[in-house]
Amino acid sequence: MTGRRRLVALVLVWTLPSLVFLATAAFVYGTYRIPQPVRLDEAQRTQVAATLRAAIEGAPPVPCTLDAPTEEALVVTVWLRGRSLVRIDGAGITVGAAANDAASRLGANDTIKALSPADRREARLQIDVITGSAPLGGIDAYAVPGIAEMLAINPGVEGIGTEVTDGKRAVLLPHELVAAKVLAAKRPSNALPDFAMGIDLVKIGNLLASRAGLRGPVAPGDLFRFRTDTFVERPLAMRPGAPIPLYRGNPAPPELSAKALREAALAGGRFLVAHLAPNGRYIYEHDLATGQQTDPLRSSNYSMPRHAGTTYFLAELYRITKEEWLREPIERAFRHLADLLATGKCGSKLPDGTEIDCVLDRTEKIAQLGSTALAVVALAEYQRATGDKTYLPIATKFSSFLLFMQRADGSFRHLYDPQAQKPDDKAELLYYSGEASLALARMYVVTNDARYAVAAEKGLDWLVHWYDFFMGGFFYGEEHWTCIAAEAAWPAAKNPAYKDFCHGYGRFLRGQQPSLGEHPDQDDFAGAYNVTSFVPPYNTPAGSRTEAMISSYLLGKHHGTPDAEVRGQIRAALQYTLGQQIRPESEFNVIGAGLGGMPGSPIDRNVRIDFVQHVCSAMIRASEWIDEP
Amino acid sequence: MARGGKQKSKASSRPAAKPPVTPAPSPRRDARRWIYGGLDLAFAITQAILIWKVIPNRLPSASFHLWTLPIATGILGVGTLLGGPRGWKIALAGGSLALLSTILLVLRIIVSAAFLSGVYGAFGKAAAMTAMISVALLVELVALLPIVQVKYLMTRAGRRAYGVAE
Repeated sequence: MTGRRRLVALVLVWTLPSLVFLATAAFVYGTYRIPQPVRLDEAQRTQVAATLRAAIEGAPPVPCTLDAPTEEALVVTVWLRGRSLVRIDGAGITVGAAANDAASRLGANDTIKALSPADRREARLQIDVITGSAPLGGIDAYAVPGIAEMLAINPGVEGIGTEVTDGKRAVLLPHELVAAKVLAAKRPSNALPDFAMGIDLVKIGNLLASRAGLRGPVAPGDLFRFRTDTFVERPLAMRPGAPIPLYRGNPAPPELSAKALREAALAGGRFLVAHLAPNGRYIYEHDLATGQQTDPLRSSNYSMPRHAGTTYFLAELYRITKEEWLREPIERAFRHLADLLATGKCGSKLPDGTEIDCVLDRTEKIAQLGSTALAVVALAEYQRATGDKTYLPIATKFSSFLLFMQRADGSFRHLYDPQAQKPDDKAELLYYSGEASLALARMYVVTNDARYAVAAEKGLDWLVHWYDFFMGGFFYGEEHWTCIAAEAAWPAAKNPAYKDFCHGYGRFLRGQQPSLGEHPDQDDFAGAYNVTSFVPPYNTPAGSRTEAMISSYLLGKHHGTPDAEVRGQIRAALQYTLGQQIRPESEFNVIGAGLGGMPGSPIDRNVRIDFVQHVCSAMIRASEWIDEP
Repeated sequence: MARGGKQKSKASSRPAAKPPVTPAPSPRRDARRWIYGGLDLAFAITQAILIWKVIPNRLPSASFHLWTLPIATGILGVGTLLGGPRGWKIALAGGSLALLSTILLVLRIIVSAAFLSGVYGAFGKAAAMTAMISVALLVELVALLPIVQVKYLMTRAGRRAYGVAE
């Protein structure tokens, strides 16, 4: 090989692969990128809504003259009391033309004509302007396996459509994909049964075929993704006013302040009270998209730890706000616990004569430590709030059970067989040790009995020192109850190791908390806790971890070293949760009493009682000091 | 060129003379052959166990791609240990296949990153770090050995060790 050829070969070896890689990356990015929509401003949104509002109310036409571009379609959804009543597609190459087309169809629609004038006024119009599209999938053979299948679209932001004939399209809007539950349809890990991701292409193909009037399902290769500029009319009581812009179905959150947090926590309290049945049992789950609710009388799908935890939050809310409407529901929920106790399935006497009891649901045979621990936390909170000692005897029996379940080294047994009167020494479950330590710390507060303080400290020592190994400070499990207990034990337990542990836990969690601008398309996730921005975060961790961080911050304050980063972390998470809670502005697509509810995630419209409990508990606790400098 | 022309003119007047053949040099003893061969087989077995037990894949195309790595590394090892010109060719083919497969794997990672950036607007620090670690591990566990070994096979010393004409 000559010197010249050698040189050429050398240059190619060092540059060609990089060029191929760069060109490939640019081509793939350019093919799949849909630019962020240029959003209509307030006046433009108002003009579009005025045209459509005139059509729905049968008023003289108000032509829309907006020449902003659209990708040939604008979709109007008419919402009435949470239900999608009518959906109209308007065609046109400008927003004005598409809005005029939609208005003429809307005015001629029989369902709209059949509505009473009052219902027409009350109905809220959601407008989706399609702004751009790109292919869906088709990259499976060239990408890392599973990527294209599991992360095919940006959920809640993108819709899916297909070309039908003559340039006509059938589309499923982003919110329709959320409501159809096709965005998180696969469970990739057996170890994490609650974790779901990946779209259901078969169901989407069938839905689109039915919308387009096709016989067979639409093949995945014929689908495309699109983005929208979405806005919705204000609730009737807030009109007139420009329609509210939505992102991933949510309006912009209210500004974070003590007042906003207090109002949001009380809204959460009202939601839970509205979901408490006369028998003292909660409506455990409420699907906001369908209005379906679990039956509090019959459903076997119920968690006693969550019943106790939710009642604890209501007692805490009552202690802080002194709102009298809370008291009766709290007592009703406690009576349900007392009813369960009356069955006597769990009570017994220890050899030294100490009476113990534990919480055992009607269908349970094995008692879980967490149920009893959180019941004690709730009962103690009630006594702190009201000074009423009615439930102290029950709380004392429960606490004796917790002490009985504690080992000499401070750790706890987590399961108990009441029939055999035997604790299970092998089972280790999440949360329970932290919950039991918190319960004992709270019992010390209401009884001043030193036994509880000592046991709580022993429990905390065991939990905190479990991490005394190489790499121990670099990762943490679910330790939010540990930090809540550590602060609750103050000043009886003043170990600075607890504060260091909780600040370390905060540091670890901050690594999972995206900030504004980090992922521009996903800025609505800022403040939530999320391993990756490709999957929408669950809302509950933003609450439960913030509860823990509030305790960590307060613990730092008690020690004279408050952590400003933890404070910032709390503010970011609370700002996120304020945006996720159902408010009048975002209630347009909620069936049933959903105000104050906390959906499972930005793309999961199911509300479970503990989602509200954790988030609103963090809100009300932070409201006591968040405005302080 | 002038000498070539002269040969051509002679060829027309008498029977073609056979071109001079350089006799294949006899293979020389080189310990590197055994070291490389041993490493190749150890890597091939380790990769196979990892693909079989740790990262099994249900997608046939992905599974096929992954399995090319231990197979190519195995071929590289067999050729290396076999010795002689035939072994040299087999080893070179195996090493080249392993390198090609690695480049395609890196390309898959790049395609995935570009796809996710397109759909989600950004790839993110954690995902970028994971992708870079994946590429680094891939180069370290799969590509490094074939790179240095193919280079060795192409050198004078490598050719001599296999009795291949330089």
